Amino acid sequence: METKFINESGFQDFVGKLVESRNLVGPVAKRNKFVFGEINKYEDLRLDYDVTLLPPKKLFFPPKQDILKFYGQKGESCIDPDPQILLGVHFYDIKAIDMTDLLFRENNEDYNYLANRECTTIIGSNIQNVHDRAFFGSVGTEVEPKGHDGFLTKIEGGYVFEIITAKAKELLQFGDFQDANENQIKQAEKVNAEVLTKCSEKLNNTSAEINKKVRNSFDSKIWEKTAEDCFSCGSCNIVCPTCYCFDVQDDWYLDQETGVRARSWDGCLKEDFSEVSLGQGSIENFRETRGSRYRHRIMRKATYLNEKLGGPACVGCGRCSSVCTSDIADPVNVINQIMEE
Amino acid sequence: MEGKPKVKVAYFDFACCEGCQIEMTNFGGPAFLELLNHVEIVEFREAMTETTDETIDIAFIEGSFTREADRKRLESIRERANIVIAYGACACTGGINALKNHQNDYKEAVYGKDADMPHLDSQLALPVSAAIKVDYEVNGCPMNKDEFARIVSHLLHGKTPVIPKYPVCVECKLSENVCLYELGGHCLGMVAKAGCGAPCPAQGIPCEACRGFASNPNEKTLEKVLKDRAGFSEERAKTKSRMFTANCRYDAPLKDKE
Ligand code: SF4
Ligand code: SF4
Ligand code: SF4
Ligand code: SF4
Ligand code: SF4
Repeated sequence: METKFINESGFQDFVGKLVESRNLVGPVAKRNKFVFGEINKYEDLRLDYDVTLLPPKKLFFPPKQDILKFYGQKGESCIDPDPQILLGVHFYDIKAIDMTDLLFRENNEDYNYLANRECTTIIGSNIQNVHDRAFFGSVGTEVEPKGHDGFLTKIEGGYVFEIITAKAKELLQFGDFQDANENQIKQAEKVNAEVLTKCSEKLNNTSAEINKKVRNSFDSKIWEKTAEDCFSCGSCNIVCPTCYCFDVQDDWYLDQETGVRARSWDGCLKEDFSEVSLGQGSIENFRETRGSRYRHRIMRKATYLNEKLGGPACVGCGRCSSVCTSDIADPVNVINQIMEE
Repeated sequence: MEGKPKVKVAYFDFACCEGCQIEMTNFGGPAFLELLNHVEIVEFREAMTETTDETIDIAFIEGSFTREADRKRLESIRERANIVIAYGACACTGGINALKNHQNDYKEAVYGKDADMPHLDSQLALPVSAAIKVDYEVNGCPMNKDEFARIVSHLLHGKTPVIPKYPVCVECKLSENVCLYELGGHCLGMVAKAGCGAPCPAQGIPCEACRGFASNPNEKTLEKVLKDRAGFSEERAKTKSRMFTANCRYDAPLKDKE
């Protein structure tokens, strides 16, 4: 692995050149928050962001994605990937992308996701500002961020650029990079280690301890009690970088001959998520209460997928905590309470 | 679908502003004509006189049921129609008309000296479903024309339309809007029925739940959030959702009958 350095003004030129020759996507401001969006000039890029509203998976797995156009009985795939560079992904989101990569690859490979994913170059960046609900420093610490192509760390005077894959190496042509010296590499390591201690929220136990205890708390009263204030609004699912459930619907255009099959992000907190047809118009809900749905999400994040993913399916971004209007979604609150039960 | 007999549809209206019919014309001429290739309109008060008493495949009903005298007309529509679709908030929930259900001086305020004229007499403003069985609802004030087209398309193809039960927040989040609570505002998106695509919060305007409630709305927690996060008074938090949901709320006049 090579490590390069580029000074502040060189970095600005580098971004300017990328904008000219590639589709560049990165964190941009939206009102008082941030989102991943198109970068059209250096000033759009906000590497000082704390967290984005939706996670970066939206760039390969859009919230609503056409998957098939149909004409009578004939169908045509909508897969049409467009190469893009995704710049400025924080390490917790890199971990999450690695998880969705695995989940969409296993069993039936999902080309609607993979085609977009494979033509994306992912360049991570260090966290300059910590979101007040984040807890990435204390969750799944055994899981390494991987699957990205390069990683930028802001240090004094410029950026250290770790080149991980050929896709990142190919970008060096756009900037005036030099080999990073030992001191610069050390500074970058320090910046990335220190940020882990800066979260105001913190899980008090290891993933293994949490996995065991939460799994054994299936019958705890805490689920129904906490979920008394749940709106079943699924916001906690939709903003989560590791959620991957989707719903598929067909729609006809007004001509009634042609139409489109589209999928959109689904979430297990929504009441309709767990409804199944029993035929003849009757419906059964296999997670009927708010508490059982609330429990399911926490179980999915803290225990059910651990074996498959090598750690919890939560990366501590804090998005769910901040979007829950009644403020009950925070995994830290509920898990720390369970650990003390 | 060439050669198939056209589906016979009829439009009826009750207490409403007819804004939903106008919304229908917003499809734009050519697009709407494409849909008309597949249906035959046998009754449309706006455009034709009520003539037939033959069977109708789909009856579209706009407006609230607010006069006992209308019950008979609704029942006869139900008898003739294979499928009844209520469209627009007035027909689906009583809509904005139902604001009068918890007031008693509205007649004087609206009609002044004519308040006692017999033709102005009306009772509670109720959804069409309070008089007859309704098969599908196209919610919204005005109704959402795309949802209308989706439901009709599914029925034309013999499929059951999927109508969301979840709240507007879902669609608001999918569009990556900044939540109004994060901007110091308020919103009813957590209890409002989705399907509109959350256009109001996307424009920075609070959702007023014009589509009625999502299933099992958490009204108690809504009051709590309006007080704790938006700084509402107890009274304002309690009555806030009434604009469009007077017949859906826990204190609705006919709640026990539902
Ligand atoms: S936990 Fe919060 S965000 Fe999640 S569904 Fe319930 S109310 Fe919505
Ligand atoms: S569960 Fe919450 S904190 Fe964890 S990854 Fe998902 S959104 Fe982030
Ligand atoms: S937490 Fe729920 S919505 Fe998210 S991936 Fe798991 S089952 Fe699906
Ligand atoms: S703005 Fe309204 S609809 Fe959107 S997430 Fe917030 S509460 Fe829900
Ligand atoms: S966002 Fe709310 S008020 Fe606006 S159309 Fe949808 S349900 Fe109606």
